[in-house]
Amino acid sequence: MTHSDNGFFNSFGGKYVAEVLRGPLDELEIAFKEAMADPSFIKELETIQRDYIGRETPLLFAETATNLLGGAQIYIKLEGLANTGAHKINNAIGQCLLAKRMGKKRIIAETGAGQHGVAAAAACAKLGLDCTVYMGEVDVRRQQPNVAAMELYGAKVHAVTSGSRTLKDAVNEAMRDWAANPDTTHYVLGSALGPAPFPDMVREFQSVIGREVEKQVKERGLDVAAMIACVGGGSNSIGFFSPFIDKKEPVLIGVEAGGIGDGVGENAARMTGNAGREGIMHGYKSRFLLDDDGQALPTRSISAGLDYCGIGPQLAALGCSGRIKFTSARDDEALNAVKFFAKNEGVLFAMESAHAGAEAIRLAPTLPKDKAIIINMSGRGDKDVFITSPVFRKTEWLSFLHSEIERLEANEDIHTAQIMGK
Amino acid sequence: MKDNKIKLMSHLVAGYPTDELAFTAARALVDGGASILEVQLPFSDPSADGPAIQGACTEVLKRGYKTEDGLIFIAKLHKEFPEVSIYLMSYGSLVYTPGVENFCKKAAAAGVTGMIIPDLPFDFDEGLTAACQKNGMNNIPVAAPSMSPVRLKKMATAGFPYIYAALRTGITGTETSVDKATIDFLKATGEGGSKLYGGFGISNGNQAKALADSVEAIVAGSVFVRIITENKDNSEDLYKAVRAKAEELTNKNN
Repeated sequence: MTHSDNGFFNSFGGKYVAEVLRGPLDELEIAFKEAMADPSFIKELETIQRDYIGRETPLLFAETATNLLGGAQIYIKLEGLANTGAHKINNAIGQCLLAKRMGKKRIIAETGAGQHGVAAAAACAKLGLDCTVYMGEVDVRRQQPNVAAMELYGAKVHAVTSGSRTLKDAVNEAMRDWAANPDTTHYVLGSALGPAPFPDMVREFQSVIGREVEKQVKERGLDVAAMIACVGGGSNSIGFFSPFIDKKEPVLIGVEAGGIGDGVGENAARMTGNAGREGIMHGYKSRFLLDDDGQALPTRSISAGLDYCGIGPQLAALGCSGRIKFTSARDDEALNAVKFFAKNEGVLFAMESAHAGAEAIRLAPTLPKDKAIIINMSGRGDKDVFITSPVFRKTEWLSFLHSEIERLEANEDIHTAQIMGK
Repeated sequence: MKDNKIKLMSHLVAGYPTDELAFTAARALVDGGASILEVQLPFSDPSADGPAIQGACTEVLKRGYKTEDGLIFIAKLHKEFPEVSIYLMSYGSLVYTPGVENFCKKAAAAGVTGMIIPDLPFDFDEGLTAACQKNGMNNIPVAAPSMSPVRLKKMATAGFPYIYAALRTGITGTETSVDKATIDFLKATGEGGSKLYGGFGISNGNQAKALADSVEAIVAGSVFVRIITENKDNSEDLYKAVRAKAEELTNKNN
């Protein structure tokens, strides 16, 4: 099941959208297929992947972590080294190039953690496209560094105040915008979900991760037992897993947000939790966190990027068929993983990716030393300093914030003064 | 003398702002001349609706409102206004999760005669059309001007008794101009003999008059939700304002 069959992955997927969106989706599907079959488009994409994104990204042998855990060799695919700090740029560049080819001048995007918004804004800046990013008000608040980056790249960040004011509401708002402006605008969906052709398209643009891993593994002669990735909507995981889906090995492990517990509203575990069930929402059929009526349930995760009530349809199908094994990691396990890999490997995981790191910490000691496991570090944790600092060094962080506020209020910001020509 | 009244399908959100006031609004709509009540079951993610309706849905859901509450509300409307058709509008999730057949059975029992579920497209409806027929209801698909001619023809000739024609691209709640393109779209949608309901952005009598000859009924939604929101603190004002707008749209006093 490497591709959809007419938009479906077994029974999941589809185009469950109001007819107003059907035309733009059909147009996009045709354009995507044509572009992927056009060597000039692929060449342009590969050039920008190399020169702008910085591909290929390294596969790091985490030697100290391996020795400390005393089991399988741990490798980390450093997607966090991609320009803008996360795998999201692979998809954003791909879709923005496609949009340009389609003659669209304006890009809209939705974002949760902010990484996709940053990637879309950067891709638009690079390719000369106008950009508006929809982001839940709650996420705007907790991801200010990313909001600042988006604005620097020239994007308009629109804080969504409807519903739960998180990612799903940003998705709704972006879809509305697209429905109203399909002629001029392309909607760069950030994860491998939503109506067809988005799950196929996002997977294809992200599959560069898995293809590089395949090559790097072969070059080093590794015997890989498991590949581990975090799963929110699932774009990093499906791209990472993509070339291995039709093979029997290695074991593919998707790690969901376990949040703070098993109760409803305490996590975002669609495949492993108590409230995940088959449903239709946001234009596709998959597994969602829903109540008995079909209303979206609240979700919770320390990582905004995993805090979403649905999962990409291909991942759901592969989970149901048993090809992908799903597990979850709680907030505190993810925080421990951040600390562990930062201290022992000099690698600062994003909170999202740290969920995969947490699973690796659990799994590695159970496997023999001649086996390897690979973690996809989908993004780096610079953006999470406002989440991790209050946990790891609360007193110092509080003092820092107070002093920053005082400094700003006293108008002592010399940099601003310089820029404003004072 | 030709009857110049215009048939109106008017929209209201079940339970908004309260069950009691929603009922008052329904009474005002019926007294103002509405012949069909389109009742929206609030959904957490109403992606095809504008801010007025989404805000109303969010408020109702905050009270812990369930599908069952919505169906009780509909049953009450049906009992009070048996001559008025009630169409249930919502999203696929609320229909699919409890089971399409199961949902349709309960809706029919409450007095629903038609279902409008925009994100269950007519060719991937999860059995909605069949389940509606089985339970004595119509599935009313939504057509949009952005549909390809091939797809629109497929819908128009699929044998639906009624089609809801969304009169422009985009979401509900912003103004729509009724021009030649609108009328041409309506002609194409009705080509297979389906009766048409035309709506999206209809808020005044002039638009209603411009559409009257091309549709079975005009549809107005956000305009009423906005009026209800503006008058939610006073039941009497709410009744008067909703009724006046319904009369304007149905051309009732002319």
